[in-house]
Amino acid sequence: MIPLNYYLVLSAMLFCIGVYGVLTKKNAIYVLMSIEIMLNSVNINFVAFSTYNGDMSGQVFALFSIALAAAEVAIGLAIFLLLYKRHGTVELNNIRILRW
Amino acid sequence: MNYLILLPQIILVAIAMLIPAIDLYFKDKTRILPYLAAGALGVSLLILSIFTGIIPLEIFDVTIPTSLFGGMLVVDRFALFLQLLFGMVTFFVVMASSSYIKQYDRNQGEYYSLLLIATVGMMTVAMANDLITLFIGLEVASISSYALTGFRKNSKKSAEAAMKYFIIGALSSSIVLYGISLFYGLTGTTDLAQFGTQLQNIDPSQDGLLAMATIFLIAGFSFKVAAAPFHMWAPDVYQGAPTTITTFLAAASKKMGFAALFKVFLFGLIAFKADWAIAFGVMAALTMTVGNLAALKQEDLKRMLAYSSIAQAGYIMMALAIATQYALGGALFHILTHAFMKTGAFIIVAMLSVMLIGSKVGDLRGLRIKSPITAFCMAIMMLSLAGIPPLAGFASKFVLFSSAIDAGGWLIWLAVVAVINSAISLYYYARVLKEMYVLPTDHIPIRMKEPLAMLIPVVLTTAAVIIVGLYPEPFIDAAMDAARALIP
Repeated sequence: MIPLNYYLVLSAMLFCIGVYGVLTKKNAIYVLMSIEIMLNSVNINFVAFSTYNGDMSGQVFALFSIALAAAEVAIGLAIFLLLYKRHGTVELNNIRILRW
Repeated sequence: MNYLILLPQIILVAIAMLIPAIDLYFKDKTRILPYLAAGALGVSLLILSIFTGIIPLEIFDVTIPTSLFGGMLVVDRFALFLQLLFGMVTFFVVMASSSYIKQYDRNQGEYYSLLLIATVGMMTVAMANDLITLFIGLEVASISSYALTGFRKNSKKSAEAAMKYFIIGALSSSIVLYGISLFYGLTGTTDLAQFGTQLQNIDPSQDGLLAMATIFLIAGFSFKVAAAPFHMWAPDVYQGAPTTITTFLAAASKKMGFAALFKVFLFGLIAFKADWAIAFGVMAALTMTVGNLAALKQEDLKRMLAYSSIAQAGYIMMALAIATQYALGGALFHILTHAFMKTGAFIIVAMLSVMLIGSKVGDLRGLRIKSPITAFCMAIMMLSLAGIPPLAGFASKFVLFSSAIDAGGWLIWLAVVAVINSAISLYYYARVLKEMYVLPTDHIPIRMKEPLAMLIPVVLTTAAVIIVGLYPEPFIDAAMDAARALIP
């Protein structure tokens, strides 16, 4: 059996890749994909912990989180489509009407 | 198990499903949809008040607290208090929307439907006793709010605000979820009630992981409540969103974040108070200072109120640093009064844009003649937000700050920072009063007609602010009862 640590390191790496993507990428679609990677890294955590703890609620949580991630992508893509229609671009640097 | 206690939520979901269908069949939508949504909210508010005993009728056979679905949801005084608050704010927002959302606006069915669903999501957070239900409630409310923020489809600002809100919201959700997954790994459970006991007997070698999980949860939830240093999105989103939705975000959505924070930290992790209280103390002080200082130089009313909202979030966050029953009661009381004040203030801003007056602070000039009643209500809201007695904002701030003094130690300094901040905030609130009442106008203003559907919620919230200020005891008692359910 693969040790638990391997899973945790994998998920931590995926999470960091996601955070890096959100912070550095300027294209909205890249950002959306990075957020998806973060959410999926959490699912790995849940399933791994669930298997090693012998408790099913983690897998239930993973299923819920997959469903919510799907809903989030749907609304996210709709918002980016709207953004493209109004601003003609999804490059986040070029969209800055609201500034403090 | 008694599912009757979920009746308010069931009604809201049923009507939320019905509204888009009705939307297809009726030509004159502004006539029917808001009334349907407001009716559903009114009925569920009535049922909630019967549950809490505000209306002394014994129609429903329910006990409080009730535990549902194997402890996933618990309806106690805390849940009922917040549910009433969320329902009330949405009720006012729906009323104001009936004149803010115009006949030619498309997708009105979705607008009211999403508002109701977001409210149910918030109510779920208030009831949640398990991290699964807590997270689902949080997401249901957030996802609906992203869509609502982008409702004005032909507005560039609205699209930009929706994009910012979505990216920040999704990022914070995944951070919260990662924290939850680490907690699940440490404790083997997602049940908040078992957290304390499970965490007591973890291996000391895993303390680092516990600290990391806590930091993830604090950071994620702080994004949701727009606490500094995670607040940068709030002014942009509040400014760009349709003003009725801004009302909803400031008065209800932010409170949902606090409900989640209270549930997780003051209920689940209260045994580890010593480890996280200081973090919240520093964040509370930072949040109120940043919010108040940034509000000083804002010219746009919505942006100014957004920063004031951030500052108020700092005051509420003090309760997490103090972490006593008294402080939680004070925070819940402040959440209530702040919901009244922000609902009133933002609906006034929405009203000004409907009356084509504009949303800059300078546009308020001459409002005392254009619309004396609006000017008066705005003045009451501003004074209350600044914490001038005998208004509601003073009463709730008093309870909250005195709970910090009561706790003693370094928390006294937190109270001092909060009091200094209140003094600073008076400057920009008074500026609004000055524009309305003191400064001369360059041309003679004429009396304007206010939209009635917006005037009613404004007058009601103003009345509530005055009544709570003059006669705070029953409201404080209700808040303390709610706090007792969480911290015995």
